Amino acid sequence: SKPSDRWQGNAMSGGRGGWGWGRGGGGKGGGDSGSGSKGGFGSDRGGQGKNKNRRRKGISVSVEPHRHEGVFIYRGAEDALVTLNMVPGLSVYGERRVTITENGVKNEYRTWNPFRSKLAAAILGGVDQIHIKPKSKVLYLGAASGTTVSHVSDIIGPDGLVYAVEFSHRAGRDLVNVAKKRTNIIPVLEDARHPLKYRMLIGMVDVIFADVAQPDQSRIVALNAHTFLRNGGHFLISIKANCIDSTASAEAVFASEVRKLQQENLKPQEQLTLEPYERDHAVVVGVYRPLPKSSK
Amino acid sequence: MRRNFKRLIVCGRNLKPQRKLIKSFTALMEGKINKQLKKVLKKIVKEAHEPLAVADAKLGGVIKEKLNLSCIHSPVVNELMRGIRSQMDGLIPGVESREMTAMCLGLAHSLSRYRLKFSADKVDTMIVQAISLLDDLDKELNNYIMRCREWYGWHFPELGKIISDNLTYCKCLQKVGDRKNYASATLSEFLPEEVEAEVKAAAEISMGTEVSEEDICNILHLCTQVIEISEYRTQLYEYLQNRMMAIAPNVTVMVGELVGARLIAHAGSLLNLAKHAASTVQILGAEKALFRALKSRRDTPKYGLIYHASLVGQTSPKNKGKISRMLAAKTVLAIRYDAFGEDSSSAMGVENRAKLEARLRTLEDRGIRKISGTGKALAKAEKYEHKSEVKTYDPSGDSTLPTYSKKRKIEEVDTEGETTEKKAKKAKIKIKAEEVEEEEEEEEKVVIVEEETSVKKKKKKDKKKHIKEEPLSEEEPCTSTALPSPEKKKKKKKKKDNLD
Repeated sequence: SKPSDRWQGNAMSGGRGGWGWGRGGGGKGGGDSGSGSKGGFGSDRGGQGKNKNRRRKGISVSVEPHRHEGVFIYRGAEDALVTLNMVPGLSVYGERRVTITENGVKNEYRTWNPFRSKLAAAILGGVDQIHIKPKSKVLYLGAASGTTVSHVSDIIGPDGLVYAVEFSHRAGRDLVNVAKKRTNIIPVLEDARHPLKYRMLIGMVDVIFADVAQPDQSRIVALNAHTFLRNGGHFLISIKANCIDSTASAEAVFASEVRKLQQENLKPQEQLTLEPYERDHAVVVGVYRPLPKSSK
Repeated sequence: MRRNFKRLIVCGRNLKPQRKLIKSFTALMEGKINKQLKKVLKKIVKEAHEPLAVADAKLGGVIKEKLNLSCIHSPVVNELMRGIRSQMDGLIPGVESREMTAMCLGLAHSLSRYRLKFSADKVDTMIVQAISLLDDLDKELNNYIMRCREWYGWHFPELGKIISDNLTYCKCLQKVGDRKNYASATLSEFLPEEVEAEVKAAAEISMGTEVSEEDICNILHLCTQVIEISEYRTQLYEYLQNRMMAIAPNVTVMVGELVGARLIAHAGSLLNLAKHAASTVQILGAEKALFRALKSRRDTPKYGLIYHASLVGQTSPKNKGKISRMLAAKTVLAIRYDAFGEDSSSAMGVENRAKLEARLRTLEDRGIRKISGTGKALAKAEKYEHKSEVKTYDPSGDSTLPTYSKKRKIEEVDTEGETTEKKAKKAKIKIKAEEVEEEEEEEEKVVIVEEETSVKKKKKKDKKKHIKEEPLSEEEPCTSTALPSPEKKKKKKKKKDNLD
């Protein structure tokens, strides 16, 4: 009866989220940059992914703040990267939620999957600064269905703003649905190649996060930065080597992209690869038109 | 010059009506001028005769053409724009930053909806809710009607037996009320004359009790409610039909409105339904039976909600399974076309339905034709041959003599085998020899009856084997003289031997 049970489980939990993520490898929150590279391949609990990873009695569960503001680490049976849920009780893409009571206050956190989100992979990889903090204004290029955008929205809180730009209509529909629940997400369904088309919707932003996966993405980021990024603002670009040039080696591609960015007055400050979560991916963090040091 | 920029950027934002905003912004996006912009520019032209700095070069060109204003577009302009954008809050007096954000948010949502070509009549939530309401109404209506009948039956029980239709009952009740008024009332609008006469007659000699004015009043209230709900139900059904035609025309053509609406409601939304495989759609609605069969390793159901589609309803029970599968396959195509397609025409659904109907016809015809090896021979209506089967009890079976060994020789087996086969077969093959018949009659009748039923249970494969075996063993009955063996042979063993 075992195979039939598993089949039944599959069919029953059609609507249930948690499945794929629960199976896709733990996502242990390495947290600090030192232990970040350990990554976390959690034990595969077999086919029965119906949230069977209940904590054994005796293990205390806690949430502690991460070095980056707005991000937290959940310590339990398995460690995970979490953000404070702005809309408690709702899962955006079927991710697991945890509720912790601190000093009598109940807080709900949503787990952040580094296999699905490049930003989470960068944080777990140990990036020095993500520059996305509470109350900041973020321009997110390549928002897709809004999975990472929702986490950014959690980090910046209700006082911040994230402008989510996505050109595809199918993903855009999901994005608009996410934006309906979270008022700090402004959906923009336009092509990021033409920032002038949505210039009346966006004010100046502090951070640009780009995950567009296009061969001309440096030009896209540069155009948007010239129009919307304030002086001294920062940018995070996720570069997929295959996308830019599938014949060259990954390092060469990253180097050429960095050079292109430098020509546009986008000064890169750090670069790190997203191993073990993605292959041949890198994240470049930098500053745009850095404010002169004398003014500080 | 600064004021000009401010006005340019801001002009749209101060407008209240959303639709105008969207129009003006979409125009700006495409680089065209709209009325508000024209107004503002004309005003500015009157004020100052300086060149206008534009962020969008295309827009600048258009402005120059139409309004003859000289426009500048250069990197300096971009820098200026950046400056203005950073200082936006300070430049525009009287607008809080929160208000601005709220306005931006509302505008962004409206624009994205415009982009997605969101049309309010393509929302499938209406269907889901409407069909649920329809079911609820039916339940409630049934309850109320039963209650009404029972209550009024206390006063005039005969009416319930005369008028079986619920709505006419209630209308009748509403018109008349107390039993005494029946003689004077005219019920000819909704009752045929004989029935009316019957009712009036029954009213005279009714055995129900008297009821007071208040009681009748309450019953009448209930009646009016019932009639209202009935009317609303018909309205709702029409509404559902309209919506289904608007939202999913191909599905409506294929399976009908009710079944289509139920499918959508079961899946949750049209998009969800489109994600299901054809086999899932076929048994959607029969989940309990499906999982029960899967758990106990039995045959799974062949149809779920699709059973109520007209195409499945009009076929013979044997072909219902086949039709349900075919219908499900074509229906999912229609569902996906409706869910993801751009245009909303029902041409594809009509085509598919025609194909299905043609296939259905061939299926039905094939049932009449015979499926033999060649397939060309038509079914021959067999001449009626009266076979007198006088079944008498054969006492030779109950002997106390020791039985022969169970191991039988092959020749014996063959003779036994083909005689039983012959008995079981429907008169497809003509039995030529009379001897065979005699032999069969001699056989233990009890065993034969059992054979027939057990052979019927055999699968088609075995029947085919029998057909093949038949021509081979036909010669034997003529020659051999099968003794009616008093051995009691087990059925199953015989089966096994027959198949050899």
